[in-house]
Amino acid sequence: MKLRNMLRSLVATVAIAAAGASSAQTIGYIYVGPEKDYGYNTSHDLGRQFVEKSIAGTKTLHVENIPETAEVSRVMERMIKSGASIVFATSYGYLDYAIELGKKYPKVAFMHAGGLKLGDNVGTYWANSDDAIYLGGMAAGAVSKSGKLGFIAAFPIPQVVRSINAFTLGAQAVNPKVTTTVVWTGGWLDPAKEAEAANSLIDAGVDVIGEQVDSPITIAQTAEKRGIYVVGKDVDVAKFAPKAVLTGASWNWGPTMVKVVKEIQAGTWKPSHIRGDLKDGTVVLDPFGPAVTDTVRKSILARKADILADKFEVWSGPLTRQNGAEILPAGKAMPMEMLESMDFFVKGVIGTVK
Amino acid sequence: MTAFDIVTSGFLISALRSATPLTFALVGETLTQRTGVINLGLEGQLLVGAMCAYAMTAAWGNPWLGLVAGAIAGMALSAVHAALVVGTRANQFASGLAVWMLGFGLSAYYGSSLVGRKIESFESIVPKSVADLPVLGSVIAGLTPTVVLAVLIVPVSALWLWRTRTGLRWRAVGESPEDARAAGANPSLIRIQAILLGGLLSGLGGAALSVDYTRTWAEGMSAGRGLVAVGLVIVARWNPWWTFPAALLFGGAEALSLRLQTADANVSAHLLHCLPYVASLAILTLTYVRGRVSSAPAGLRAVMDR
Amino acid sequence: MKSAFVSSFAHSAAGRLLLSTAAFITLAAAFFLLIGRSPWEMLSLLAQAAVGDGFALTESLVRATPILLCALATALPARLGLISVGAEGQLYFGALVGTGFVLSATAVAGPLQLPSMLLAGMAGGAAWALVPTLLRTRLQINETISTLLINYVAALLVTWVVYGPWKNPASQGWPATAEFPENARLATYFDSRVHAGLWIGMAIAVVAHMILTRTRWGLGLDVLRSNPRAGVLAGLRFDRHALAVMLLGGALAGLAGIAETSTVQGRLQASFSNGAGFSGFLVAWLARNHCLRIVPMAFLVGALLAAGDGMQMLAQVPSSVTLVAQGLLFVAVLGTNGMLDRGAR
Repeated sequence: MKLRNMLRSLVATVAIAAAGASSAQTIGYIYVGPEKDYGYNTSHDLGRQFVEKSIAGTKTLHVENIPETAEVSRVMERMIKSGASIVFATSYGYLDYAIELGKKYPKVAFMHAGGLKLGDNVGTYWANSDDAIYLGGMAAGAVSKSGKLGFIAAFPIPQVVRSINAFTLGAQAVNPKVTTTVVWTGGWLDPAKEAEAANSLIDAGVDVIGEQVDSPITIAQTAEKRGIYVVGKDVDVAKFAPKAVLTGASWNWGPTMVKVVKEIQAGTWKPSHIRGDLKDGTVVLDPFGPAVTDTVRKSILARKADILADKFEVWSGPLTRQNGAEILPAGKAMPMEMLESMDFFVKGVIGTVK
Repeated sequence: MTAFDIVTSGFLISALRSATPLTFALVGETLTQRTGVINLGLEGQLLVGAMCAYAMTAAWGNPWLGLVAGAIAGMALSAVHAALVVGTRANQFASGLAVWMLGFGLSAYYGSSLVGRKIESFESIVPKSVADLPVLGSVIAGLTPTVVLAVLIVPVSALWLWRTRTGLRWRAVGESPEDARAAGANPSLIRIQAILLGGLLSGLGGAALSVDYTRTWAEGMSAGRGLVAVGLVIVARWNPWWTFPAALLFGGAEALSLRLQTADANVSAHLLHCLPYVASLAILTLTYVRGRVSSAPAGLRAVMDR
Repeated sequence: MKSAFVSSFAHSAAGRLLLSTAAFITLAAAFFLLIGRSPWEMLSLLAQAAVGDGFALTESLVRATPILLCALATALPARLGLISVGAEGQLYFGALVGTGFVLSATAVAGPLQLPSMLLAGMAGGAAWALVPTLLRTRLQINETISTLLINYVAALLVTWVVYGPWKNPASQGWPATAEFPENARLATYFDSRVHAGLWIGMAIAVVAHMILTRTRWGLGLDVLRSNPRAGVLAGLRFDRHALAVMLLGGALAGLAGIAETSTVQGRLQASFSNGAGFSGFLVAWLARNHCLRIVPMAFLVGALLAAGDGMQMLAQVPSSVTLVAQGLLFVAVLGTNGMLDRGAR
């Protein structure tokens, strides 16, 4: 008798779980790292919360720590089976799996972070944070006394290589002799290595560091401790390094996500490559730190105004590679394919993309 | 600055900092293994130590309290290993892995609210006047209390193991529990004590990692260093004296893999990251070729038959 | 009388299972109560995510497949008393060599491509096991540390080739090799990702069990492990046996790597193993290196790992909660069995 009751309540629990999930308004989010990483994944989770708040009746599912391997296929499929009709695959390596699964589930809409592939129901979204990093690079170039900048990053994927180049180009706009030394840590989240990478750069005479790892906290604090400067990424770290932070490039994914979700729900959505930027507010230039003088602020804000007015384009020629070979001739804009699969460093960057 | 200067300037302190959390864990595991118990749960103990230490420091603003909390947390988690392998004689490898999972999971769960919290922590213990000295200054300027503590713990544990009666008893248990029992020792009790001491030290190592070295809490932040420490016990030949060079070798190679990049070595970073592992294996091989003597406690052999 | 019956039931397989489950439910319930969730709800959701429907079941099998092979790769050397943690590295190197074979030997197309690719993967895994084996037999260097250290090297080599020399130019900068051709993939079943590697792994478990328990060679391993001196007196050579079990184990882990890469991942990528080698190590020691017991144990661990994302979705808990539950399960299994065995001694 008891056993039967237990079984009945098990069935009921399962049924409730299934019914609760099968609402038409369910949106799934997949994160590559911890949801609370104070970095890239947190920025996406803030976007999720914004969607849930902004569109009445929306329910979201979210799953963290999913590697960029075939694991994500299972996660996406389970999400769909749990009722998700829209899936935000928020890390770069999920793309091929999203496209493959898109064929199996034609009624589900997939939104993938970056990349230049589409499916009938798979679109991509990304934001050109390069502009803000370029402006951060300007601050770095102006503040640096040694003319040696450093950049600490996890892996040489295009979205990181772009940041390093943009950072360097911005700095060179202020001081043409500036170099950027790159250190790869080989992991998105390894604070000990991040701290040591920062120390190595500082010992080598670097006095401003840019970074693109999961969370900027450790690097920013190391810079503060050693009395040098840092340009942040993903979230504002001024709290952790009030003196060291020059500025940074943060995300605000919410509005873009809301717009896409509304389009999908209205049936007007067509898969495309949505790209946000400084102008639409997906990318935010963090407030300046005290080390950035008024003159420097003015010149950075002037360049920002030019970018917003389409008078200035970061990715336009003349651009040369590390070895001096030409990438783009003067006046030519970089094609999107080259930008989104970038695997070279510009002149002035010290390090290797391999 | 030549490439050589870039690689060497500040290298020693860099290697020391890298080696500090590892040294605590390594000394602890060495003492544990000396009594014939292997604990793969080190990774989990580092993590709960790091998390609790960070939480305590964030709450009370005192990093010393953080170190105490980390040590206690590491010890508490290691009690699970003690209960399983001594209490129920479960397989030590499986038990260690279970402790690793528990530690990873618990620290990630309870640590998530700590992400993004700022702590005040140790400053350099070197007075400014000394730090400004030309050669010496740059070497020791970055010294913090946990680095000093790690350096001190090595001779203390070595002298204790080799020169005291208790140390002798611990070693006897590791060689042969039966003989030790005949001589009046209680092998089970000693093994429990050894596991707990290992837990305490690895918790301290975790605390050094989060509170002092990185001033960050992030889930899984030990990034495999605990497992490496279990292996480095063999490089140190189960001798506390050798734990420090072993940890320094690994920490130094890790620092070098980053420093070579700053000197524009023009070698793939992925290959440079192999350095700590290859260097450890090379040193192990060289010392074995010379010595050919294994100093493994005989009792450890029995581990695999269970 | 009565207590003897209770005791013999407790020591039977069913009894062990029942007691372990009870211990796990108690521990997990305590944890779920501690974090303010209903134990009953959480446990049933965990079961649902692991084996609740056809999809969950097949995905658990997919996850269990490389773990099964890696557990066998750990158990074989363990029968000789060698503690190899090396399945993880052998898996990576097997995948590397197998992929390299497919990328370079385009001449071997058609029906021969699949078997030759699998053999290349196995050869790769065995080759990666050779280094620690020689270090052990020639220089007496402990195999645990050497296998552990070169695990990282193998994983980094894979990272290096996919970021560097083998990167697919068409992948828009994403670090991965070109995709495997259709006929270099294992057969899949049930409209799912379950592939032939599962049957192969299970068949190998059975064959390995027979060889280990029924042949002179297998019994020789037991003798060398439990009484090396008697083994040597009986004319058994440790070095040869070590070479055999380590290379065979390496080949199995290499098979796991190339099967997973070609069939589930579809291309070689960095960090694709998701710790299958270490999970296999855990499975082998939970099953006490008994090749038949390894099969259900591998499925259990695979199911728990595959259920992780389901728990996150269904129960709205962070991934760490599943990890704690897994840790508690192993504590329960180990503690229960340890206690029963202790009583029996």
